[in-house]
Order: sequence, then C-alpha cells, then structure tokens
Amino acid sequence: MAPENSQNAYQMEGLSRNWALFIRNPIGKTGVILLIIFGLMAVGSFLPPQIDTMYHPMTGVDPLIANSSPPSWKHWLGTDYMGRDLFSQLLTGARIAFIVGITSAFISIVFGTIIGMLAGYGGKILDSVLMRLADMIMVMPTLLVVLLLSSLLGQLNIWAIVLLIALFRWPGVARVIRSQTLSLKERPFIDLAKIAGASHFRIIFRHIAPNVLPMALLFMTFRVTSAIIIEAVLAFLGFGDPSTVSWGMMLQWVWKTGHMFQAPYWLIPPGVCISLITLSFYMIGRAMEEILDPRLRKEGKVD
Amino acid sequence: MNLRRLIIRRSTEIFFIFFVILTILFLLFRLAPGDPVSRMVDPSMTTEEAEHLINQLGLDRPLWSQYLFYVKNFFTGTLGNSFHYGEPVAQIIGQRLPNTILLFTTSIIISCIIGIYFGKIAAWNKGKKLDVWMTIGALVLHTLFLPWAALIIIWIFGYKLGWFPLNGMLTPEIWINPETGIFARFLDVLHHMFLPLFTLCIIHFGSYLLIMRSGMLETLQEDYILTAKAKGLSAIEIRNRHAAPNASLPVVTSVGLSLAFSVNGGALTEIVFSWPGLGRELIFAVSNNDYPLALGSFLFISIVVLVANLIIDILYAYLDPRIKY
Repeated sequence: MAPENSQNAYQMEGLSRNWALFIRNPIGKTGVILLIIFGLMAVGSFLPPQIDTMYHPMTGVDPLIANSSPPSWKHWLGTDYMGRDLFSQLLTGARIAFIVGITSAFISIVFGTIIGMLAGYGGKILDSVLMRLADMIMVMPTLLVVLLLSSLLGQLNIWAIVLLIALFRWPGVARVIRSQTLSLKERPFIDLAKIAGASHFRIIFRHIAPNVLPMALLFMTFRVTSAIIIEAVLAFLGFGDPSTVSWGMMLQWVWKTGHMFQAPYWLIPPGVCISLITLSFYMIGRAMEEILDPRLRKEGKVD
Repeated sequence: MNLRRLIIRRSTEIFFIFFVILTILFLLFRLAPGDPVSRMVDPSMTTEEAEHLINQLGLDRPLWSQYLFYVKNFFTGTLGNSFHYGEPVAQIIGQRLPNTILLFTTSIIISCIIGIYFGKIAAWNKGKKLDVWMTIGALVLHTLFLPWAALIIIWIFGYKLGWFPLNGMLTPEIWINPETGIFARFLDVLHHMFLPLFTLCIIHFGSYLLIMRSGMLETLQEDYILTAKAKGLSAIEIRNRHAAPNASLPVVTSVGLSLAFSVNGGALTEIVFSWPGLGRELIFAVSNNDYPLALGSFLFISIVVLVANLIIDILYAYLDPRIKY
C-alpha cells in the first residue's frame, strides 16, 4: 500500500505544478476562462424552457411573434423565423457542441491510442498495415467523406455523426502515439516486465498506456475542435440531426430562410460562439503542448 | 537523378492510393443498404434508356464483373449521367474542375506568401507588441468558422458596401455580349473571385503565419545566423536572405499536410459564394441524392488532393537539397 500512496502523492504534486504552469500562461488562462463561460451556457440551457414553454429552443413559439424579430426584453437576442427564442437556442447549442466535441474526440483518441500502441509495439506487418491505412484516411477530406456517407446512409442522428467523425479522426493521434511507443518499448522497464512474465496485453495497457496518456490528452483538445467544426458544418449544409438545435443549424436557418442581410442579431451570435469555443480548446491545447514538449510546437497544428 | 526517382516512386504510390479509394467507394455504393441500381439509374428514365445504362455500367452482372466494369468505365470517362442535370457526369466535372483548381491554387499560393511574410516579421520582433498582436490575430483567424466568416464577408463587402458581387463567377451580360474583350472578361472573373479568395486567404494565412514564426525562431538560433551577424551583414539581409528561406520549409510541409483540410474549406467557400466548382457540385449532388455526380466529383476531388500532394513533395525536394529519398 505504502509505495502506491507515495506514488499517488508524487503524481498529484506533478499535476498541481503543471496546472500552475498552465494557468500562468496567458493563452492557457484565456482558453480556460472562455471554456468556463461556454460550460455555464451549456448548464444554463436547461433553464429557459422551465421559465416558460415559449422559450423551448425547438418547439417553443412566442404566440405574439410570427416572424423574426430583433432583440427585446422578452427575447434577449430576438427570435427566428418561427418566433422561437434565439438566446435559448444559443444556450442549447453550447450543450450540443460539448456533447459532440467531447464524445467524438474521446472515441477517436481511444481508437488512435490503441491503434498507435499496437502499431508501435507490434512492429513489422501490423505496423505497416495500420500506418498505410492511417495515411490513406489522412489524405481524405473528412467533411466530404462524411457527407458522401450521409447521402448513402440516409438521415443521420447526432450519435451517428459523432461516430463518423471519430472514425475519420484517429490517424493523426495514432501516428504520434506510435512514435512514442517505439521509443518506450526500448526502455529497460519494458524488458523487466517481459522478464517478469507479463503478457503483451499487460505490457501495452499497463506499462505503455500510462506513459502515452498525456500526449493522447493533448491531442484530445485538438480533436474536440475539429469535431465541433465538422458537426457545425454538416448542420450548416443541412445534414445535421433535425431533432437538435446546434449553432450550425442556427446558421443554416438564417442563411436558408433568407434572413442573412436583415437579421444580424441572428447571424452573428452562433458564428461567434463556434469560433470562440474552437479558439478556447485550441488555446488550451497549445498551452498544454508547451508544458508537455516545447519541441512539439509545430505539430498537431495542421488541423 | 534523385528527383526523377522521387517523382516515379510517389506517382506509383499515389496511383495505388487512388485505386484503393476507387475500390472502397465501389464497395460503399454497392453494399450500402438500398438498391444499387436505383443509385446509378435516373428514376425518370424510360425502361429502354434504363436498360441501356444498366448494360453500359454492368449493373446486371455479378459483383466482381461489376467492379471490372466500374474501373474500366472510370478510366474511359464513362461515369453515368447526372440525375439532376441529365448530362454526362464527365462533362459536368470537366466544366467545374478548372474553376475549383483556379480558386484553390490561387488561395493557397497567396495565403502562403502572406503567411510567410508576416510570420517572418512576427518572429523578428519576438516578444514585442507587434509579435503578440500578430500571434493573437493569427490564432483568431485560424479558428474562425469558415462558412460564417464567408457570410459575414458577403454581408459587409457585398451587401452593405456593395463593392463586390454577392455570388457567382460571371456576369452573364458581359459574357453574352460578343463585343467585350478578353480583358474585360478577365476583370469580371477577378471581381467575382475576390471575396471567396479573400475568405480562404484569411482562414489559411493564420496557420501559415504561426508555423513560419516558430520555424523562423528556431532558424535564428542557428550558428550560420551568428556567422552572418559576425560578418557584419545588415539585419534585413540576415532576415530575408539567410533565415527566411530555411524557415519557410515547414510551411511547405504544412501545406501538404493540411491539403485535405483546405479542400473542405474550398468546398464550403464554393457553396456559400455559389462558385461553380466541384466541391459545390458534390454538396449539391449529396443533397439531391444525385449519386453518379456525387461519386464522380468525389473521385476527382481526391485526384486533386493527391496530385497537389505530389507537387508539394516535388517542390519540397527542389527547395531543400538536403532531403534524400
């Protein structure tokens, strides 16, 4: 028990030191503040429908307003073409963005980490097969592939979209985790584990996995941004889940119903939100990157 | 003859990758739930026309034979007819492809040049106000949501100020009139192209600036920069002739890595600005369930990405003689 405890204490100390470094970085700090604001929005999204049913983002219609109306005391950001409250829609959008971004990033990171560890540890044929597959997926424009698939599979719900995004976003992670695994597996502690009779499974998940975890976590922040963007774009183009309200969906409505030039109060907020939430995850990622490995500053930046 | 070997090797690789994409798409289109025949044959066709097309595409044969037909048809340019336009898909792609390539390549070249230029200046002024603001600006531009940025740009420059056309690529009156000269036509396209180009450039240039900046900071630590300083060369000369060319190599690499991303952006820009390109055609085809056109445009977009990758590899080998393949 005792060594376990002291190890935990050591890890906690490392964590709090890293957090102090992270929060001192102005980029990291701004990112966290922005993220907290969006978190509050997502939590607050449950409130408006409780106050009055006309504030429901999807089905709530103001009986006195038949068309899009500018901001007022009753509707802080105005209403859309059906008289639905835009502020309530904006709050719900934050919730959807978090759900899509975090689940999709999590799935793609799990895929990428496992595949990367298998490729790096397995070597030889397994390595080259998996990495060629990764190369192939990397040259494909994710958005267009998902679009094509959605036309073949019919209307997608939000979870199908999440899964599709995750399926095409693992290669970048897998490559980085693979190269880390390659260097890890030459370390003495892996040899010791082998001598002690550990199985390959145990070596990969018990000895290698904890060491590649920080890098996987870093990549997760970048994947969150790309998942949010892809979902928003799909919704913007009219391929989103019709039963949800997302920021991309709001932009699609203002664009397709021809209110673009008349209703800046409707056009501006969703786009600002998508851009800022992407920016916040991106800033957190960059700040984490500088702590984890200053040399990595060039990578992971591409998408 | 290093370069020739590189070109041959990369071309075979690319050809192989394309073949795999071709095969995957075949399997997707045939094995996805639903009737594959109804995906390739226009529902409004007469029975005779439909039979002719089924025969031509080999849809009545066993799967492996269908596959051979499909590959043969692709390389002979028989891609079926678009449901929506009723014209051969190959013809539509032939019209749209040049427009896409025009917008795509110009935007990449311009944003690269601007990104390299400002990244150089930011790194040179490291830690000063100018650098901080440039970095923040680049971060913000890089994370802007493209379709929204496009809508805002149309709203400001097209609608409020009225400086540029709202969408499209040509003014029909100018092009129908036989008296307008080639220069007036060129200006007309340029006038229409400005806003989409501007949108793509501000989105892409941010990331190139950041990459150039960090590349430049690294290069400035090198010994040969110290040597150049010791020789008494002017600061401008060190910056522009000694540091910048080497520091811009990572930018070239990142252009290659982000090509798939740029293609997504290109398609979105095309659709918001109604630019008659392949990306817009693909998105339209997907919304209209126009499967032959969707398949064809997707394949050609993949070709554009792969060829652009090849060109960047060659460019890189040319710019950096240290690279051995």
